[in-house]
Amino acid sequence: MEYLINGWFGALALLADMDDATLSAIYATLLSTVYAMTAAFSLGLLPGFILGYYNFPGKRALRLVSDTLLAFPTVLIGLIVYAFITARGPLGDYELLFTLPGMAIGQAVLALPIVVSWTAQAVENLDPRCRETLLTLGANARQTALLTLWECRFAVGMVCVTAFGRVITEVGVAMMLGGNIRYSTRTMTTAIALETSKGDFSQGIALGLVLLLMAFMVNLALAFLRRRGARA
Amino acid sequence: MSLVYEARNLEQRYDGRTALARVSLEIERGEAVALTGPNGCGKSTLLRLLAFIERPFAGELIYHGDRTNPRREATLLLQDPYLLRASVFFNVTLGLRLRHCGKDLERIYDSCMRAVGFDDPGSFAARGPNALSGGERQRVALAARLALNPRVLLMDEPTSNVDAASARAIADAVSRYRREGLTVVCSTHDPALINALQAREIRLGRRWDEI
Repeated sequence: MEYLINGWFGALALLADMDDATLSAIYATLLSTVYAMTAAFSLGLLPGFILGYYNFPGKRALRLVSDTLLAFPTVLIGLIVYAFITARGPLGDYELLFTLPGMAIGQAVLALPIVVSWTAQAVENLDPRCRETLLTLGANARQTALLTLWECRFAVGMVCVTAFGRVITEVGVAMMLGGNIRYSTRTMTTAIALETSKGDFSQGIALGLVLLLMAFMVNLALAFLRRRGARA
Repeated sequence: MSLVYEARNLEQRYDGRTALARVSLEIERGEAVALTGPNGCGKSTLLRLLAFIERPFAGELIYHGDRTNPRREATLLLQDPYLLRASVFFNVTLGLRLRHCGKDLERIYDSCMRAVGFDDPGSFAARGPNALSGGERQRVALAARLALNPRVLLMDEPTSNVDAASARAIADAVSRYRREGLTVVCSTHDPALINALQAREIRLGRRWDEI
């Protein structure tokens, strides 16, 4: 029990000092998450909207695929992306393995089904009177689609925050594709795993506290968006 | 008087279920028409067809106006209107922005809000829809339609969900615009509204008898 208590005190001391390794892990985590979120939203927002807004043959099948991918094991994502970006893989020439962009590709693949499925859900959940109202005000098809997406902005914001929370706390993809290289691709989650395996609880707890703080901030943003969405 | 609408044997179905069958009618420009009849007889469906937000399953609907884009001339106020998650000012002026008429928005907002009974439109401009009562929401939605300066105003039970004061304000506003030549078609069970509009009553039957 004593080592746990010592670990907590050590963690607080480390946080007060904010050593280079901790700062580097925080920086790598945030940077790869921002890369991944940018890619996931750029690729997923429009398909998600189309899936929720339009009716077309095969829509249900696509939705089923997208929903199934929500449960895609992160280790499997890591394995597949690894196969693509390793030196022998089709993207091997870009030397992405064990780099932040390479790690971000895996995290983007992880976030993509969340963005697609939940954006589709947000559009489907929108009151059907919204579209009718826009039509009665004389909106054309393009204006109706754009304003429908705008009307879902709080729900889409929640999708963004949820995906962010999923990516930032992820460990499997980061470990496999980033390689946990100190001062380079070591993120908070991979650092916690490493430090714990070395028995250095203080460092693990310190990073865990920072991660917890970030999760708290993400949830705070989520609560804010929920409140704004309900009030507006 | 010239005709605005000519409908011949209009029929609408949803998932194979008939919602409106063999309805024929003519509506003249500047006329007020009240659609009455029991629940489920197709009043709302007929209004949606007249507003061109749905296509009829069968029959013919002729609009004597801008046939390339009739939704720019005929607008529908839904029974339970939806306001976008934005300010009242945005909602009232949205239709004008959609038509790229961005000038004089403040003046139009003010006059339309006053027309539907808001004495101090400025104090409502920044409010969101959830800060409004049911009657206020209905009147804001009506103001948004009047801001478009439509040739035809279609209304689905506009006074059924509002208090007496809001119902009176709605009837007064629409009567005033009607005197200026607006064609009004509304479904209603409210005799006061029918009287205020001096509307010709068209009764739809459960058996969707031809009118």
